[in-house]
Amino acid sequence: MADNTAFPQVDLEHVFYPKSVAVLGTNRVAGTVPHDIFANILKDNFQGIVYPVSPKERSVAGVRAYKYVVDIPDPVDLAILVFPSTVCNLALEQCGQKGVKSAIIISAGFREIGPAGVKREEEIKEIAKKYNISFIGPNCLGVINTDPLSRLNASFARKMPQEGSIAFLSQSGALCTAVLDYAQAKHIGFSKFVSFGNKASISEIDLMRYLKNDPKTKVILIYLEEITDGAGLMNTAREIITETGKPVLILKSGRTREGAAAAASHTGSLAGSDEVCDAAFKQAGIIRCTTIEEMFNSAIALAYQPVPQGKRVAIITNAGGPGVLATDATIAQHLELAKFSAETTEIYKKTLPATANIKNPVDVIGDARADRYRVALGSALADPGVDGVFVILTPQSMTDIENIAREVCATIGKYNKPGYASFMGEQDVAVGINILQQQSIPHYILPESMCRAYASALFFREHRDQTVEQQTEFSGIDKPKAVKVIQDALAAGRKYLPEEESDIVLNAFGLPMLPSGLAHSSDEARKMAEDIGFPVVMKVVSDDIIHKFDVKGVLLDIRSAEAAGDAYDTILRNIAAAKPDAKIKGILIQKMVTRGEEVILGVKRDPSFGAVIMFGLGGLFVEVFKDVSFRVAPVGPRAAGGMIREIRAYSMLAGARGKKPRDIKSVEEAIQRLSLLALELPEIKELDINPLIVNDEGSGCYVADARIML
Amino acid sequence: MDKSEIKSRVEKVTALVLKVDPKDISPTANFAFDLGADSMQSIELIAAYEEEFNISMDEQKAREVQTVEGAVEFIAGYVK
Repeated sequence: MADNTAFPQVDLEHVFYPKSVAVLGTNRVAGTVPHDIFANILKDNFQGIVYPVSPKERSVAGVRAYKYVVDIPDPVDLAILVFPSTVCNLALEQCGQKGVKSAIIISAGFREIGPAGVKREEEIKEIAKKYNISFIGPNCLGVINTDPLSRLNASFARKMPQEGSIAFLSQSGALCTAVLDYAQAKHIGFSKFVSFGNKASISEIDLMRYLKNDPKTKVILIYLEEITDGAGLMNTAREIITETGKPVLILKSGRTREGAAAAASHTGSLAGSDEVCDAAFKQAGIIRCTTIEEMFNSAIALAYQPVPQGKRVAIITNAGGPGVLATDATIAQHLELAKFSAETTEIYKKTLPATANIKNPVDVIGDARADRYRVALGSALADPGVDGVFVILTPQSMTDIENIAREVCATIGKYNKPGYASFMGEQDVAVGINILQQQSIPHYILPESMCRAYASALFFREHRDQTVEQQTEFSGIDKPKAVKVIQDALAAGRKYLPEEESDIVLNAFGLPMLPSGLAHSSDEARKMAEDIGFPVVMKVVSDDIIHKFDVKGVLLDIRSAEAAGDAYDTILRNIAAAKPDAKIKGILIQKMVTRGEEVILGVKRDPSFGAVIMFGLGGLFVEVFKDVSFRVAPVGPRAAGGMIREIRAYSMLAGARGKKPRDIKSVEEAIQRLSLLALELPEIKELDINPLIVNDEGSGCYVADARIML
Repeated sequence: MDKSEIKSRVEKVTALVLKVDPKDISPTANFAFDLGADSMQSIELIAAYEEEFNISMDEQKAREVQTVEGAVEFIAGYVK
């Protein structure tokens, strides 16, 4: 784990724009990593000075070599280590003595190979700390900077990519080479390209902070296998998106449900690491991609075209079928087919053939040539009711693919609205696709990909334009009271807070509780029930019983004092039969709320992101349909509202089928209070409020049952 | 066989396999860092030592040896 608190503010200027580079451990054997790294720096026209450091060679590729980095007479800005991992410590030590402050450690054989490698990695971290060296890697492909001021290819990739405005950061070196090849074929250029390997020193967060201020970078793409600092990642991404307007796209691999198996609560079992990751990324405005292709599909839309201002799209096509496909995809992505103005419709009537379809999608029909595309596309882009345009071409025998491609590029370029293209096919359309790609018009083989990319761009715009959410300040919070309950439980070796203790904790943070009391005899139960008011619920309270219904420890709808007394005895008998060893603290008598919607709120401590809040409708909705939403704490009013509206069953709360709407505002407040509780009480590992009863609008909500795990 | 003989033969074999000047081989020289041995050459060295001394070494342990003097000590453990 990159312990960035141990390293000072990371200066990456010498990583990307070094005036001098030393390659330590290089040799003359072409086709080996040590050789090819050095050769790449030379071959790709690095603008600084490069020194080979080789124990036994007098020169490498015609350049005078030094035996040790300390022998180099001039300052060295950046050291690239390609020695075997077993001696990287010696090399880094010498770098430190030389005064080198930045390094890239290409060598494998560290943490990724097991305990021996972990030890080696810790050793180089110590050396780096001693000399204040920041390094990328180890176990990485290297770094590429396409800026003509640098032209640094400090990697063993086959070739330098073309210059562009997309930055790519990857935790996998092998993936980098595949991505470079893929991008090359699609004429996609990069500003900076970094394989950061084991991130023992410089992490993706450090690199993101650098790219935030890099004038050459417009879009940031990241491939991640593990998230070590989820909060840092979210905050940095949010900062970049809102302060600089640069989109952040992440492909996070490993979508398995780890950590859910052993959870004791609903929240714990539902909040798998991938669901939390999804929620966290969405919350931060990060575009989460599921494939490399999807990532680049979105990236080129964001890098090459203006960000869409709305969801109204016009589709221009020379074939009906693909137009329908595009329409379906548009609706599936929650976009809208734009309605053309009278003026646009009039232009189409006058200029397009009678057989053309002039409503959206506009079908310019199969024999359309460049001029018809020009009119259709230009009029759509000029229409104030259109936010973006999709252009589709299928290769008919008379289709002038090259000229149409040129016309599409020229016309889209005249307007400050996004235009994307889909020249469907592969072989015949290749010449047109090439022209589109050379002119930075985003191209997609399929209309569905085009729509998805547009939707991503819209998602980005919505988050970019959001103001920073202020957290609600709540008064009357009694944190010490909650802390005492927790500390007492921990001191007694308990990991579970039974209901009456959970209620104290929740009440201390202002969550609305139902009137209740703990009875220790049937007489007490009768009197308490009468004081609270009927009907009541009666539940066993015991540190040894977590799932009360399973042991018949709950009786509902008690409507008289006598019934309360009988219920007390019945519950005790049930427990004696089901769990005779359980130590009973008492029977909780609680006001029963008969009307209202049941919802579930929860907290789970995620290893990467910290406290995660869950919301969902209760009962079947959570147990069978798993219709829940998540947010990473802190959760403010906007996020709380968002997570309620996000669930599929939201209409049950909003008022469906003639039912009155429920008090959603009170739930929003409960979520925010719970978020504050989760942040203030780190001892809480998992928490379920199940159910929270939500009354009609204006009548609040109440915690009916809660469970806290420490 | 005494250590000085082992040392001189180790140096001879090392110079041959790594193609370095014997003058550059000091007892504390690290095979990779000071003498430029890559991973293939490390394996070749082990084989060459085994042939020179007519011994069979534990390869995993042999690969952990990093310096010339370390190799001398290690081989001394095998040579009678």
